[in-house]
Amino acid sequence: MAIYVAKRLLMALATVLVVAVLAFLLVHAMPGSPGAVSLGAGASQEAIDEVNNRLGWSDPLPVQFFGWLGSAAQGDFGVSLIDGRSVSADLANRLPVTAALAAGATLLSAVLGIALGVTAAVRGGLVDRIVGAVCGLAVALPAFWIGIIFVYLFAVQSSVFPATGYVPFEVSPQDWALSLALPVITLAVGGAAFIARQTRASMLEALQQEHIRTLRATATPTWKILYVHALRYASLPIVAGIALQFIGLFGGSVIAEQLFAMPGLGQAVQTSVSTHDAPSVQGVVVVATVVVVAVNLVLELATKFLDPKLRAS
Amino acid sequence: MSIETAVWQDGTAQAPGQPLLEVVDLVVRYGRGRKAAAAPAAVDGVSFSIRPGETVGLVGESGSGKSTIGKAILGLQKSSGGSVRYDGTDITHAGPARRRELGGELRAVFQDPNSSLNPRQTIGASLAEPLRTRGVAAREARQRAEDMLARVGLPREAVDRYPGQFSGGQRQRIAVARALICEPKLVVCDEAVSALDLSTQAQVLNLLADLRDERGLSYLFIAHDISVVQFLAQRVVVLYRGQVMESGPAASVTESPRHPFTQALVAASPVPRPAEQAERRQKREALGVRTASAATAAPGGCPFSQRCPLATDLCRSERPALRTVGASDVACHYV
Amino acid sequence: MIPSIAPVPATAPANAENADKETDTDAAGVGAGAGAATAAAPAATGTGRGPRAAFGGLFAPRMSSRRLFASPGAAAGIIWLAALVAASLTAPWWLPYKTEDQDFTAILSGPTAAHWLGTDELGRDLLSRIFAAAAGTLGTSLITVIVGVGLGTILAMVAAAGERTEGVISRVTEVMMSLPGTVIILAVIGAVGTNIPVIMAILGVLISAGIYRVMLGQATSLQSQLYVDAAKVDGVSTLAISLRHVLPGLSNTIVVQSALIFAVGMLIQAGLAFIGFGPPIPQPSWGGMIQGASQHVYDAPWLMVPTGAVLALTVLAANAIGNALGKAPNAAASHLPSAADRRRRTAASASAAASASAAAPETPAAPGRLSVRGLSVGVDGGTPLVTDVSFDVEQGTVLGLVGESGCGKTMTALSLLGLLPSGVSVTGGQILWDGRNLAGATETAMAGVRGRGIALISQEPMRALDPMFTVGYQLVSAIRRLRKTGKAQARAEALSLLEKVGIVDAGRILTTYPHQISGGMAQRVAIALALAGRPRLLVADEPTTALDVTVQAEILSLLRTLVKDTGMSVVMVTHDLGVVADICDTVAVMYAGQVVESGRTANILDNPRHPYTLALLAADPHANTAADMPERLATISGQVPQPKDWPAGCRFMARCQFAGSACVAPVPLVPSGSDDGVVRCVKADELAVEGLEWVATEVPARRVPDVRSADSTVSTSSAVEKDRA
Repeated sequence: MAIYVAKRLLMALATVLVVAVLAFLLVHAMPGSPGAVSLGAGASQEAIDEVNNRLGWSDPLPVQFFGWLGSAAQGDFGVSLIDGRSVSADLANRLPVTAALAAGATLLSAVLGIALGVTAAVRGGLVDRIVGAVCGLAVALPAFWIGIIFVYLFAVQSSVFPATGYVPFEVSPQDWALSLALPVITLAVGGAAFIARQTRASMLEALQQEHIRTLRATATPTWKILYVHALRYASLPIVAGIALQFIGLFGGSVIAEQLFAMPGLGQAVQTSVSTHDAPSVQGVVVVATVVVVAVNLVLELATKFLDPKLRAS
Repeated sequence: MSIETAVWQDGTAQAPGQPLLEVVDLVVRYGRGRKAAAAPAAVDGVSFSIRPGETVGLVGESGSGKSTIGKAILGLQKSSGGSVRYDGTDITHAGPARRRELGGELRAVFQDPNSSLNPRQTIGASLAEPLRTRGVAAREARQRAEDMLARVGLPREAVDRYPGQFSGGQRQRIAVARALICEPKLVVCDEAVSALDLSTQAQVLNLLADLRDERGLSYLFIAHDISVVQFLAQRVVVLYRGQVMESGPAASVTESPRHPFTQALVAASPVPRPAEQAERRQKREALGVRTASAATAAPGGCPFSQRCPLATDLCRSERPALRTVGASDVACHYV
Repeated sequence: MIPSIAPVPATAPANAENADKETDTDAAGVGAGAGAATAAAPAATGTGRGPRAAFGGLFAPRMSSRRLFASPGAAAGIIWLAALVAASLTAPWWLPYKTEDQDFTAILSGPTAAHWLGTDELGRDLLSRIFAAAAGTLGTSLITVIVGVGLGTILAMVAAAGERTEGVISRVTEVMMSLPGTVIILAVIGAVGTNIPVIMAILGVLISAGIYRVMLGQATSLQSQLYVDAAKVDGVSTLAISLRHVLPGLSNTIVVQSALIFAVGMLIQAGLAFIGFGPPIPQPSWGGMIQGASQHVYDAPWLMVPTGAVLALTVLAANAIGNALGKAPNAAASHLPSAADRRRRTAASASAAASASAAAPETPAAPGRLSVRGLSVGVDGGTPLVTDVSFDVEQGTVLGLVGESGCGKTMTALSLLGLLPSGVSVTGGQILWDGRNLAGATETAMAGVRGRGIALISQEPMRALDPMFTVGYQLVSAIRRLRKTGKAQARAEALSLLEKVGIVDAGRILTTYPHQISGGMAQRVAIALALAGRPRLLVADEPTTALDVTVQAEILSLLRTLVKDTGMSVVMVTHDLGVVADICDTVAVMYAGQVVESGRTANILDNPRHPYTLALLAADPHANTAADMPERLATISGQVPQPKDWPAGCRFMARCQFAGSACVAPVPLVPSGSDDGVVRCVKADELAVEGLEWVATEVPARRVPDVRSADSTVSTSSAVEKDRA
């Protein structure tokens, strides 16, 4: 078991490193040198060159990379070319926003999705078809479209939720929750549909297993067959589905943050890419990867723990 | 291994000749790494030979290694030791080119009629594949496919149909047709009739016997049912956990088994005659063979020692060699 | 939704192994109508006609197209997509306005005669812009599909063919799958700008990792099929095997994933355009248009609708196609009927019970006796599977239900417990047990009988036990429920039950999981589980078929002991006449849904009266010793008729060696003359008197044994039976 954990940790580390290299290369392929970006159009060539030399722009790539890696390992991602602020400080502020958004959306998706999927699988017939149609529609409508409609309904027509903006938890937990509500619900619509589909499929597959017949032959009550045995069997692919959902949400929160003006990592990616702010792009990509890989690792270990066949070996 | 005359079922003898297939001390281990090396081998030093025109039955229960031996001979499984010689040459580690050459003479019929034919290919395409791989022209391949279908008792129009349109027994006959379409010398039948109903099993067994007599084929007939093997084979090799327990002429191995395991195996096969079966049951219980347990025997001893009523410390520590006892060879210290 | 980069397999990944089998069943309908030729085989395939033959199977048009058009959603989807593609490709010719034409007289207008879908904030016609954007969107999404599905499939095929490469590729794709996709894409955009085709191609590369995972399971299971082994024996190269045998099997999944990824690609593209990373101005894009619309959601909400609707419809269309073709889990194969099915069943069985109770039971119910009278089981909506089966099982005796596959013995056995599969139910007759007719009983009533009165053991013990729970948990919870005892006492009972079934290490076994014990031991556990409720009747469905013969002998001994010790009765379903001889007191021989002969085992097996029983015994190699092993075994020509082909008269007639004109009329069961035996044959007496034998028809003439010479002379004159296929 310990060896397994060690192996997975190594894989996770390797993933982060690969991404770091990738980000580094991508950033260097971006148009415009750091000097040009930070000083803007109209700056003199000498001024630009001076900034570039200070930042080591003409050093060989491996030197630059390991230099950056060294600082990054200590938590220093450099400063933004646009406003000169510390990238890591900025990201540290933004991370909780995206994390809350992604975690909240995943949680809501999981709860809703599992409930819907189990209901559809268990009740069958018309209920199943209705759930299927609703999920089909939810998956087809783009999240930003749904978000706009929600904004229109809940924030404009009725002022239940704030349309945009984020309130940090420290300021007011209540307002924090309210400010997260609409974005989380928006993202959860598609997420729940996805998980509902996965749950329904896994439950039906579980119910096709022969041990279900044995359970019936020993007069096991139906609720126990469904919610203890079948659900347990289906739990593995469902957890895998939830893990995928989180990965997708974390990266995809970009759009929700744009729509709801949330100061999270997604917004950071978008602005830094548009402005060619190299250190920010690098920092964000790496931080996002670290979070995703970490959560993935936890969920993987959970899966391994859930499966008796893997647990025993 | 003692040299003996092969005896046809009608009593005519055949003088011994050079074996067509020779398996010498074959060892197969699954997996890689230290753990795999420590685990008991799937096939642990098995030797036997098949002469031209002879059918040898390989009998054993699950875990005996019989299918693994068949796969190793066909090149589907890598062997870890020992050798396989076909027609005099060593084919143990034959490369793809040599295997392709062999593919015309050394062929196979597998167990599962549901997956032994590609469901997306017509029967004709499946039958023609081995010919086309060997450069036979399309038209001739089709002709031979049709001929072969007729020979196994199916209509010629079947060439254009799909496997799904046939029953299990018919598909197995098509598999036999595919095996024989290249005019092979040796056919490995890996549990070829085990998945079939009684009446279909009989049809396929008859067919195999007909084709063997017609063409002088050799078979390596792998099965877990000793009566089925008895029908087709002249010689029988009994395996347990990767080792040969007994081998000899079919009649003596099945009628008067010497090795305790063979005795247990024969005694356990029920016959459809109630009075006789009751007697056999009593005799079987009197044998005193113990239940198989999941634990594997200590390496180095006889693999059957855990269950054998005759087992002593000698059996558990020293692997018995094959000795000739009567008409068969037996691997037991106490027979 | 925010689509995740990783695609969703239509079913749980573990189900990939069944994927190939399902295809076979679809194409074959083996269970029901192997003889029925499915619609005309594709004309393209023949024998070895070059690439066409090799790839003729690739598209298997029969199955997929039928499934596609059967689903209304998918059909609508195809029509929509086709229309959209056609419209966007021909856009330059029919668009009423240019995309940049601004009409200041009609800004933010709703649908009008001049502008069918309205205008945007600059007065540009929405209809024109939507369809102008369509071609680009569809085309670039296609790039993602081709790159993603193509790369993923190729990687999966390569990995399936070699174990070492599989390890490497799987590691790499694992890394790819744990990347935050959208973030990476944005970084890429930073580097290459908004070059949409390149972006979508890179998206395809990221997605290919997920596709690889979906495909790998299937490709591996295809590689392990026996026909691949046969091809390897033939000497076919690895590449040819992948192309000819593996790729066609993946074709359905490829199409499904393509449809789903197409949808994903469109949504991601729209999302990127929404946040400002769409195609460079002035090219319109759906995402960009929605962006613009969002600015005016307060004053012109209609603006959101047209673009959103077109985008959603296109995604829906792609998803519908993907789902229609995908192997969605079949709810009908469930072992637990859904609520809707249960309602239907209760209604059906109530009507069956009403008709059955009209007939009064012939024999008064004796304690512990099972009486089955005229039982009929069939598929809901027509096809019968079992007709008019009757037998009695006295307390403490073992009845054998013997026959070949398809004779209905398993369905008969399952109906005793009310555990028939979905879609199959009792259509008539009575099952008299304990003073009640179980045939029409409700689910609640049956739940009271199961476990306590009648118990079940099945063929595959490893599958019959729940893999997620320990043996102890399953045993203890069954005992607690059926005997209403506390936990400690139940555990003690569990230990004693395990010992009773011959498990020595009972304490340790309680803590193990099913996959950690052998097949024989698992069957013993299953028997212990069946005994948990102290049943008086045990239904054993081929309990030893999957076990080694020495283990079988032990299990049969165990069952005999249990019958003797507890007085339990057993209904033993088997195809093995030796098992019948060993353990059964009485036997009923079944053929094509009917009982053809029944009575005491000794009578039936020593003096069979029905030609089919005679034939089975003649075909059985176990019936002979080595000394009298025949040259050729007796066989039965032809095949078992499918239910839809059952004749009104004797169902065995077509294959019977003694058939005559009297056999075309329906044949009733008549007493066979020995004890309580009955037989369904008009010639039974004749056969008994004349002592006829079932003849082996394929005995060859004397053959020449000199096979070492190059040209062996063959002088066989065997009349080979041509099969009426």
